[in-house]
Amino acid sequence: MAFLARLGAPVRGFLEFLGDQAHLVLRTLRHALLLRLDQLAVVGGQMKLQIRFTGLDALWLVSGTALLLGAVTLIQAFSQLSGLGAENYIGALMVLIILRELGPLLTAVLVIGRSATAIAAELGAMQLNGEVDALAAHGVNPYQYLLLPRWLGVLVSVFALVVFFDAMALGGGFLVAKLKYGVTFGFYMDSVRQALSNRDFTATLLKVALFSGAITFHACHFGLRIQHSQTEIPQAVTKTVVSALVAVFALDGLIAALLYF
Amino acid sequence: MIELHDLALDAPDGRLLVQGLGLQVPRGGNQLLTGPGGWGKSRLLKVIAGIERPARGTVRVGGRQLWPGDGVLSLIGQVRLGFAFAAGGLLSNLTLRENVALPLRFQGVPPVELRQRTEAALDRLGLLAVADLRPHAVGVSARKHGNLARVLALQPHLLLLDDPLEGLDAEDRAIALELVEGWAADPACTLVIAAEAPDAFTHLEAERLQLSPAPVESP
Repeated sequence: MAFLARLGAPVRGFLEFLGDQAHLVLRTLRHALLLRLDQLAVVGGQMKLQIRFTGLDALWLVSGTALLLGAVTLIQAFSQLSGLGAENYIGALMVLIILRELGPLLTAVLVIGRSATAIAAELGAMQLNGEVDALAAHGVNPYQYLLLPRWLGVLVSVFALVVFFDAMALGGGFLVAKLKYGVTFGFYMDSVRQALSNRDFTATLLKVALFSGAITFHACHFGLRIQHSQTEIPQAVTKTVVSALVAVFALDGLIAALLYF
Repeated sequence: MIELHDLALDAPDGRLLVQGLGLQVPRGGNQLLTGPGGWGKSRLLKVIAGIERPARGTVRVGGRQLWPGDGVLSLIGQVRLGFAFAAGGLLSNLTLRENVALPLRFQGVPPVELRQRTEAALDRLGLLAVADLRPHAVGVSARKHGNLARVLALQPHLLLLDDPLEGLDAEDRAIALELVEGWAADPACTLVIAAEAPDAFTHLEAERLQLSPAPVESP
């Protein structure tokens, strides 16, 4: 019996976690629908702050990473496929590796590292300082003031960062293709365009929506669970990173299986 | 305004603080909660505000059931509540002025009135000079007054004050006490004060409740 209980405890814990996440998402959605027009400016202000931190401040990091990744991908591809007409596969390679998979995935990883950790730590500190209680007690709905703008801010930021990541990675790839094979910009873009399908756009949009939700609500869940001491903050941040990474990779696999399998 | 039935409160370590508490505070009434530190006064205020869940019992505020239920979420937009915390409670990423103004902005108070009420509250508590500083940059008494200024600007129907005079020097204490006495005399305000040392409130017309620890159950 004790053995069965030991086996069941993690499963139960996981199901409880999923239940908590669903509860948090549904409550945030429900309270979003209750927002009044005169409250939009306050919520919008918080959302802008989140977009600035998650999106704008991360732009150089994401752009640099993407430029290098695009270039390295084509350098490696050319080193393996030289003599096999590698230049004909440039578009397919970039779409398969960067646009379909690495663009959204690496953007999500960077956002988890920069923003999910910050959200969890900030909400944890607010919780410890009684700020979340104070907001609610004075009629400022925490779902509307804390969770909704962070969710929307991360959603907008992840979308913009994925677009930037893809564009910069294509740019990095083009630089290598031009230097190595003298490929023209028109040929390069035609090759990418031919390899792209509507399904790729659908997959990217789906990933942006699901990844940003997973990142925000994992951070909010662990941050708001902090109750007693500051030593809980680094623990919550670590849990956020691990849990959000697992969620993002699982969702990525699920979307690939649904759309491409 | 406030109805508590068979209320039990426990401490974070699981120790029972209060058991079988019943309390009714009518609209416009004043209630003073006294007792030594650690006997559950602050916790009781938070339970009444709906931000902490009691171990047992029912809590109704303004005719709305908070516990068992959704707690403070049932009150938002229904009962205007002001809570002056004993410590903390101000948003650390906002200035004192923004802290005072935030609940009003969220209520949809027009900008001109918002500015007037915010400035008047800050002025009354003597905070205008430090109004553009964040809570960590000001002293303990300014933070406590910041809490009171937020409550004052909100013009609430129900006021919960957690040790509002503790840690204040004579001058700040006099300002805060004058404000509390004004609220106590206002028939539109229901006032609940938790105080470890109630001497300052001896002349306040209020019902008094001395919290006593719950009996330890023998094994």
